[in-house]
Amino acid sequence: MPRVPVIRVGNVLIASVQEDVNDREATDLQDELLQLLERTGAMGVILDVSLLQLIDSFLGRMLREIAVGARLLGAQTVVVGIQPAVAVTLVELGLELTGVRTALDSEKGLRLLHRLMTHTRAGNWSGNERSRKD
Amino acid sequence: MNARERIELIVPIEGESGIVNARSQARTIARDLGFGMVDQSRIATAVSELTRNIVRYASGGRGEVIIREIAGPADQPGVEIIVSDEGPGIADIANAMRDGVSSSTGLGLGLPGTRRLMDEMKVESGAGQGTIITIRKWRRRSANQLTLHD
Amino acid sequence: MSASNDAMRASERQSRTIEEQRQTILELQTPVIQVWDGILALPIVGSVDTARSQEMNEALLQKIVDTGAEIVILDITGVPVIDTAVAKHLLETVSASRLLGADVLIVGLSARMAMTLVHLGLDLSGVLTRTTMAKGLQLAFARLGLEVVHRRGAASVSLATDDLEV
Repeated sequence: MPRVPVIRVGNVLIASVQEDVNDREATDLQDELLQLLERTGAMGVILDVSLLQLIDSFLGRMLREIAVGARLLGAQTVVVGIQPAVAVTLVELGLELTGVRTALDSEKGLRLLHRLMTHTRAGNWSGNERSRKD
Repeated sequence: MNARERIELIVPIEGESGIVNARSQARTIARDLGFGMVDQSRIATAVSELTRNIVRYASGGRGEVIIREIAGPADQPGVEIIVSDEGPGIADIANAMRDGVSSSTGLGLGLPGTRRLMDEMKVESGAGQGTIITIRKWRRRSANQLTLHD
Repeated sequence: MSASNDAMRASERQSRTIEEQRQTILELQTPVIQVWDGILALPIVGSVDTARSQEMNEALLQKIVDTGAEIVILDITGVPVIDTAVAKHLLETVSASRLLGADVLIVGLSARMAMTLVHLGLDLSGVLTRTTMAKGLQLAFARLGLEVVHRRGAASVSLATDDLEV
């Protein structure tokens, strides 16, 4: 049974990553989200990591891969709730979560997501998003 | 005068479950030793990185993680973690310690990142000789406590 | 027996006081100021070594969590020397803040610092900068969709009165 519950709210998938997921659960989450995106056509993903006390290189890579995979399926991803201690550690680890948008909490994350989803609805033909985070 | 026994825990690793096990034990001990939230996160993350190498590269994913309370020359408290396996070993340690594309993308052995998180790190290894990595973190006198937010 | 207990308690009190004073000094060294709703400012005065940078980051991130600020203005006017190490620390502050959903703006870069950074080949291209705090605030307000407007026919208001009409 997947340890990460994923719920769908309208056009958005919300995954709440539970405390201390192992490598297998992280990979399963990636699979599940991408499958759900394909099946439902949802255009946004919120990855809530506020319960995670640790994001190491493997989890960091998973988060990035989820964001990249989601974009290939036409969806925007926002990671929310990175704990301060985890943020400091991630940065010192040298993990560049480039291309992964982040927000402080779900509320801000959803706001950002809706802005992104509206912005990309018209399509982004030049392929150059003027986002600093990319 | 109570002579408290120094904390020492041996965590045998045999497969994937060892990664989460070792890192959560390391975090608990770090917390018990008075390390702040950020240092707990650094220590747990370092252990996660190193233990994953055992699981990935050593046969049967077998190895050992020892977590020990230590005291420094100036009597400062700290934690020492020794991660060892009988795996293929690291042929070129200098190269493994170098930052590169693999470390920033989360592939590779995670050694440079671990080094940055820790105060001291020692790698003993060679091709076909197994690996022993020793890391240490000293407790700062004022532990900054970052509070959780929901 | 009780004399040594008293002595122990006194020395515990003393070390607690020392610890509290230490904390106060640390907080004074890295004051994170909320200059507006959603905007934090962190003036850095003095050299930035690893220990100081870590403490700064922790104080700043905690403030981001507490206030939900989405813009951080790092003022490095008071930083005497900018080299690879300092630049690295600043970039770490930027990265960590971003992970908490806040964008960072660096102000107070002098022409000399800019030249040093160029010569060091350091790429701060991912970071927004402005030369002064005032310009930084302007940018921050614009980003939040705020505008500072001169009220028409406003007589000068004395800051000494208690009933200011805003």
